Amino acid sequence: MINRREFLATPLAAAAAPAKGKADACIFLWLGGGAAQIDTFDPKRRGDGKKVAGAAYGAIDTAIKNVQVCEHLKQTAPLLDRCAVLRSITHPIVSEHAAAANLVHTGRTPSGTLQYPSIGSVVSHQLGSKTEEVPNYVVMGYPNITRDPGFLGAKFGYVYLTQTEIGPNGLVRPPDVDSTRQDRRETLLASMREGHQNRNAGDAAIQAQGDVSRQAFRLAGPRFMNVFALNRESKTMRESYGGEFGQRCLLARRLVQAGARFVEVSFNLNFLNGSGWDTHNDGQTNQHLLIRDLDKAFATLLLDLEKQKLLETTLVVIATEFGRPPEFDAGGGRGHQSEAFTMVLAGGGIKSGLAVGATDDLSKKVIERPVSIPDFHATIHNALGIDPHKNLYAGDRPVPITDHGKIVQELFA
Amino acid sequence: MVRSLIASLAWSLSAAPAPSLPGGGPIQVEIFEDLAAGKEFDLAAMKSIDRYTEPAFAFIHTPTKFAANAIPLDRSTPFILKAAYQRNYTAGSYTLRLRARGAARLFVDGKLVAQTQAQKPNTSGDDPVPPAVERGNTPLRPAAYPHQDSLAPVQLSDGPHEVVLIAVIGGKGLYPSPGELAVGIRTKDQLVDQLLGPHDAPPLTDAGWEAYSLASARRHAESDKVRRRTVSQEVSALWNARHKSQPAKSAPAIPSAPDGYPVRNAIDNFINVKLAATSAKHTAALNDLEFLRRVTLDTTGLIPTPAEIAAYLKDAPKSRRANAVNRLVDNPSWADHWVSYWQDVLAENPGILKPDLNNTGPFRWWMHQSFSDNIPFDRFVAELVQQEGSATLGGPASFSQATLNDSPPAAKADIVAQAFLGQKLSCSRCHDAPFHPFKQKDLFALAAMLEGKDLKLPATSTVPQGEGGRKPNVVSALKPGESIAPAWPFAKLLEHADSGTLPVAAKSATRNQLASFLISPDNDRFSQVVVNRVWKRYMGVGIVEPADDWSRGRASHPELLVYLAHQFRASGYDLKHVAKLIFASHAYQRKAAGTAADQMSSAKRLFAGPAHRNMTAEQLVDSLHLAAGKPFDCEEMNLNPAGDRSPKQFINLGKPERGWHLTALSNERDRPALALPIAQSIVDVMTNYGWRQSRQSPATKRDDAPSPMQTLILANGVLGTRIARLSDDSAFTGIALGNATVDALIEQTFTRILSRKPNAPELAMYRNLLAPVFAARVVKGAEARSTRRESDGRVSWSNHLSAEATVIRLEEERKLRFGDKPTERLTKDFRERYEDTLWALINSPEFAMVP
Repeated sequence: MINRREFLATPLAAAAAPAKGKADACIFLWLGGGAAQIDTFDPKRRGDGKKVAGAAYGAIDTAIKNVQVCEHLKQTAPLLDRCAVLRSITHPIVSEHAAAANLVHTGRTPSGTLQYPSIGSVVSHQLGSKTEEVPNYVVMGYPNITRDPGFLGAKFGYVYLTQTEIGPNGLVRPPDVDSTRQDRRETLLASMREGHQNRNAGDAAIQAQGDVSRQAFRLAGPRFMNVFALNRESKTMRESYGGEFGQRCLLARRLVQAGARFVEVSFNLNFLNGSGWDTHNDGQTNQHLLIRDLDKAFATLLLDLEKQKLLETTLVVIATEFGRPPEFDAGGGRGHQSEAFTMVLAGGGIKSGLAVGATDDLSKKVIERPVSIPDFHATIHNALGIDPHKNLYAGDRPVPITDHGKIVQELFA
Repeated sequence: MVRSLIASLAWSLSAAPAPSLPGGGPIQVEIFEDLAAGKEFDLAAMKSIDRYTEPAFAFIHTPTKFAANAIPLDRSTPFILKAAYQRNYTAGSYTLRLRARGAARLFVDGKLVAQTQAQKPNTSGDDPVPPAVERGNTPLRPAAYPHQDSLAPVQLSDGPHEVVLIAVIGGKGLYPSPGELAVGIRTKDQLVDQLLGPHDAPPLTDAGWEAYSLASARRHAESDKVRRRTVSQEVSALWNARHKSQPAKSAPAIPSAPDGYPVRNAIDNFINVKLAATSAKHTAALNDLEFLRRVTLDTTGLIPTPAEIAAYLKDAPKSRRANAVNRLVDNPSWADHWVSYWQDVLAENPGILKPDLNNTGPFRWWMHQSFSDNIPFDRFVAELVQQEGSATLGGPASFSQATLNDSPPAAKADIVAQAFLGQKLSCSRCHDAPFHPFKQKDLFALAAMLEGKDLKLPATSTVPQGEGGRKPNVVSALKPGESIAPAWPFAKLLEHADSGTLPVAAKSATRNQLASFLISPDNDRFSQVVVNRVWKRYMGVGIVEPADDWSRGRASHPELLVYLAHQFRASGYDLKHVAKLIFASHAYQRKAAGTAADQMSSAKRLFAGPAHRNMTAEQLVDSLHLAAGKPFDCEEMNLNPAGDRSPKQFINLGKPERGWHLTALSNERDRPALALPIAQSIVDVMTNYGWRQSRQSPATKRDDAPSPMQTLILANGVLGTRIARLSDDSAFTGIALGNATVDALIEQTFTRILSRKPNAPELAMYRNLLAPVFAARVVKGAEARSTRRESDGRVSWSNHLSAEATVIRLEEERKLRFGDKPTERLTKDFRERYEDTLWALINSPEFAMVP
């Protein structure tokens, strides 16, 4: 008799599959709030900040012929040949940040019958762990449900930190517990644990509980924590990455180097301009500071990964929940636009040095090669050697990794 | 609109009837609703909806409005709060302080003396953070942002004076709560205001306000309880009559017990038959303290307190277990513990920030009152399905919501069928279920009953069959856009008629009909599914598994299931009756054996002992706080403390005191200014222990297998640090200061945390650690310090996009890492050793396991 899983998981109709990528890790830079494509990677003619729609900044040439970026991406421009700029991303959720962020992270809208996993959890689940020295999936930003493992379960969740200075939540000891005290604590605990196990010698569940506790302290040992210690990097290296966002990117590199599979780095340094990338009204005034911070950190990350020989195997993604229109609002900022915006892929062994898709003369509409969010996910998965059509299981129920996502074939020679 | 309404309010009291006020008695409060928009209103011509009293002029909470069946209702928005009071004053000059978020006026002896402006609804997020309040050298509690203080110097003569406050609460685009509405009074010589009221009214200081606020919350909860029980007496009588009129069914036969197996009640007869047939051994009985810990966790969601343990041990050994059970099922926490269960099963999923991820309203509040009042469970189901009452503030109507879902009623139909019939229809959401006897049409027919009309199948609830795509293995007879009429889809599976008219009819006939089918006394499946859920909750594994998907499982003890279902129905659908039966059985009162995962096949379920269970996330965090004697002390679940947005966008879920009060912190925007750091530290622990911050879909089983992160988050996280910290509000600080001997200290510590005494090696280990510094542990002359946490109240949605708001919250996060302020009354060396003791006990695997 055919079992439920087999029945439900009969393979897909064969389609010409592009070459599978060889990347084994992903750094996902998240520009929460909705970064304006027209002011970053898809520049168009200038507007006036008021009535006349258009870019807020001038454009400069890049290492890709006929592809320009905004003038505040100076360090990135000469490195753009390491990137593929996806200028025709499009999805239907424009009004609400949370819903759009959820779509971009999970590739789906909520169904009410199950909670879909984030792309970080899927990658962590599919690639498995390379080493016990480092968590598989790390988020630098606030924990929220768009990043959750959903039906894959807590095992494929993330370790997070909100500030590099504080360190990963749950892994760093409280500030007043030094190693002497920690040793004392663990000695007392070991005795409690063993006592409990010995009193219940025949009970497998109790033995297992004690073993997990023991394993946890072994995992979070000094070697593990060293990965998070940015002060092990030279001062020059740290400075080259820039501010807190740069430090997070540097930490992402350390994590990937140590074997992490998916690191999401949130750019939520909202004190730079108040609103972060959600540049309504006043938020626009200092948007260039965000762009420069991004530029410095991203360019340094690419070069650093290259130097460490990690760029070929590390896919770097710049993602955001939607873009912004060319028009200005009453306060001189910009509203939301999900119909056409840009994401960037770099490294990871993909074919780089190109812009995929195009928008009209004010980047309001996609005029060439629309790329949906499932397509965007399928492309990332393919770069990581993951079959985007493979079924995951919510209990017995098969759920394909992407919702009919089509790989952007141009990126895979 | 709101402003014009407020501007035109007729404030004059001239037409108001002369109030007959008792001198110096409590403050008389009235609530008026349904103000005609744009027209002047005249309180004298209006009838108040509610009348109650407050001990002083602070109106933090207002009574919940209840329907005749006790479900919570929305008030009109805005509504008016009028407070009147008369008292004798000594002649002199006084300053009155009117503090309000919105429009309010204050009258003394009929004369207007102070007023505040109407609050404007806010649509922005980038207002500036207001400047920090200069406290100067006054202990006055400053007005919380964006409250206004209006000061009125008044000259009072000797004798009685009448003070009247009229305040507008809520309004379009505003949150319908009074905020910190208050009136203070002070003479020239007083440093700080006293709340207006009797001589002993509290001072308007932080401590005075916080104590009053806490007492006010308790008082209102208690009075809501009394009011809703009174208001619904008639409906309750109707339900009782319904149960009485249901024809009695003959009780199922109880098998005779095989020899050699212990029997405490009929449950054991059923269990022992199968144990004997397979020659299986049962596990050993729990000792008294193990039993108490288990049954206290199962009834209240908490570990037993030292006082409960003492009272229990004082009881005669023969009766102490039964007495404890009788006490515990009537403990108020009974409701707390059940709410957390049904939040999962019924996918309660409120969002505190512009909900849009399959969010419901907070029907937690209605569930809590239902379990607190122990309404019959069939009534609970009927009221849920009828989906009436307040949608945003917690009535059953908030169950009907599913934001951003293409068909909320279809989502709810699936939930209802899983919860009460053990029929999982999830697969039928988008196609005909391949392995269940359900078609997509069945789900949508049920959904149409919930909706009260025909439903159209959304294209997004179908399996796309595009060219070049995969050929689906699943199909549906329905086409996108097809219309489906309301119909009871289980007629073949469950051969029973509906049960006729319900005691209370909802507006929707099809909802009534659906409820009537579900709770029919002839619907054996309903009773069986519910008792199986109760059994699984207490025994770790169900008689039928999966408990939410019966078409895939078989009963391990079918006769026991019938017996329990019969008991449940005969008791008038009383969960407590079923719980007591289970607690009284020997099967429940013995040591755990195996895990639920090992017993998914019905042949393996013998109940030689209950399956092993770890504490749920809620039990864990609640018990930790109970052991340390510390409140959560976390932020309000509210991102709009300024109250200048509508409850449709921002709901206030209040200041959590129990795990189930928490919810997803909704920082999908990833903005530091939206962080709630203390709440986050609790959520971090809970999510690792299987609690779902977002309940987008129903769940009967949690993903809570032991994991290293569970251990680590408790060992290193902020919550564990706070629990082990000997601050001046820790119960452990108290016992460390109070105990004459180190052994007594260790014994009390074990009792508080593990509900047992230390064994000899344990005692020796901790004695070694603590004894050398025990005698000199007390620092002479040191005093207790306030443990009050300063959270900057100026940050709200309306200004969260300002750079300053970001910096404020980031700094709070950094500070929190250090945990609560340590006491100075104990020496550092002793304190650290004792904190490490506490740390080892709360992190020991024994703590989190249900005995």
